[in-house]
Amino acid sequence: MARRFLRSLAAATCVALIPAVAQAHLVVTGMGPIYDGIDHFGLSPEDSVPVVALAFFAGLRGAATARLLLAALPLAWLAGGLIALSGVAIPAAGLSVATAVAFLAIGGLLAANVRLPPAVSAAAAIGLGLLRGFADLSGTAFSGGHLLTLAGMGASVFVVFALAASLTLPLKRFWMIIAIRVGGSWLAALGLLLAGWAWRYGARAF
Amino acid sequence: MRRLLLALTMLFGLAIAGATAAHEVRPAYLEIDQTGPGVYQAIWKQPTMGDVAIHLVPHLSNGWLEETPVDQYAADGFLIRRWVIRSGKASPLDGQTVSIEGLRDTITDVFVRVRLQNRTGLDTIVRPEAPQARLVLGKGAPTTVPAFLLLGIEHILTGPDHLLFVLGLLLIVRDRWSLLKTVSAFTLAHSLTLAVATLGHIQLSTPVLNALIALSILFVAPEAIRAQRGEDSLTTRYPWVVAFAFGLLHGMGFANGLSTLGLDKGALLAALVLFNIGVEIGQIAFIAVVLALRRAFRLMAIEWARPIALIPSYAIGALGAMWTIQYATIVFGAT
Repeated sequence: MARRFLRSLAAATCVALIPAVAQAHLVVTGMGPIYDGIDHFGLSPEDSVPVVALAFFAGLRGAATARLLLAALPLAWLAGGLIALSGVAIPAAGLSVATAVAFLAIGGLLAANVRLPPAVSAAAAIGLGLLRGFADLSGTAFSGGHLLTLAGMGASVFVVFALAASLTLPLKRFWMIIAIRVGGSWLAALGLLLAGWAWRYGARAF
Repeated sequence: MRRLLLALTMLFGLAIAGATAAHEVRPAYLEIDQTGPGVYQAIWKQPTMGDVAIHLVPHLSNGWLEETPVDQYAADGFLIRRWVIRSGKASPLDGQTVSIEGLRDTITDVFVRVRLQNRTGLDTIVRPEAPQARLVLGKGAPTTVPAFLLLGIEHILTGPDHLLFVLGLLLIVRDRWSLLKTVSAFTLAHSLTLAVATLGHIQLSTPVLNALIALSILFVAPEAIRAQRGEDSLTTRYPWVVAFAFGLLHGMGFANGLSTLGLDKGALLAALVLFNIGVEIGQIAFIAVVLALRRAFRLMAIEWARPIALIPSYAIGALGAMWTIQYATIVFGAT
């Protein structure tokens, strides 16, 4: 079990390190809008990092929580994107602060391995999905292409969440769980840093 | 309920069919050769579909390609332009920039090849996300490894037709041994025809090939549904036979990405091996993700209701049917 976990963790780390460029706007890959959505999610740590952390948390909380969040998060992401495409606008600085708070909250949940009821965990997932789905599509006009980009993002969220949750679901050894929780504390620290940065520099923080 | 899901799946399939058109992403090709002291020949090949050519215009920062081509003609689904340039400069190409106008709006790559008489040269791929490249000419054999390897990986990962066929096979196989045999059979078959077709020993017109590949996807979808329902058929018993048979077709589809480049025999062989390795890397990565996802669902104790479990198979079938009709229309000349 320990060897399998370490292998999976090493593979996940390699995958996380492959993206060389982080972009804060919609990525145009030239391979069509669905791939644009997939690529955007993969190259945006502000999207992928909290999703992986939330999945780790859900995995630690058990199969029932993981199942619930696997349904809630991608649907909320799609809903957030649709709200943005409908023309609703939120100042970029507000989105930056909210993202930093999401980092802090999800990192904190994972670090403390809080025994939340599944419904409350689902609410956190819905909050994250609405926020990042909205942030990814905000400022873009409604079009069929953007809908497909959003579908690509939703599919990525679903797949990455499922794969990440499956890493922590079978964990039984104490030190492995501690290692994952340490990761959560780093994310919380990063959230604090980003919040301070957002406070100081506003929208330019991201 | 099942009919509603089926209808929704078909609608979704039709909606995304346009965005994920079956793999018509033949690369364009720019080759610059030094044919004599101070004499250079540039050849530009860009794919066309019938009489329609996408807007792609090559530019070279030293202005060579702004001259009127000495030759311009259409052949085998390509528009070809040729320039002959005379230059007295010692190294007129080193450090210049190639840029491709219109590339950003396409899903086509451009393969750039430069060969000089002093045995320096360059092979590189210009992609839509960065439609220009600086020519830094190197001594000895130019490195083609990343270019062709990446082209192979990109070719399969951006080809929903190939991926859907592999997904269909994964839905059919019932155990690890069967999975190993099926994937091996598909790999063997497509490697075989990739090599034979790239070397020019067999040839099928692109629309016919695309229609046949679409048919293979349409074939595999009902078989996947049968397998998921626990029904027995020749395909569910011997999926590797189907994988091998249709793998031969898919290999010719992969070959489209290479054979049309017009590389010389020596370069083609190395390109073929690297491209095939790239295709295998992409295929293994896709299969690994699907299997990891299946494991994740098992760990989460997710038990999909039968109609939901069948959605991927229906989606594969809907897209296969859509592409079959689309390419059959082109083959039979209807508009």
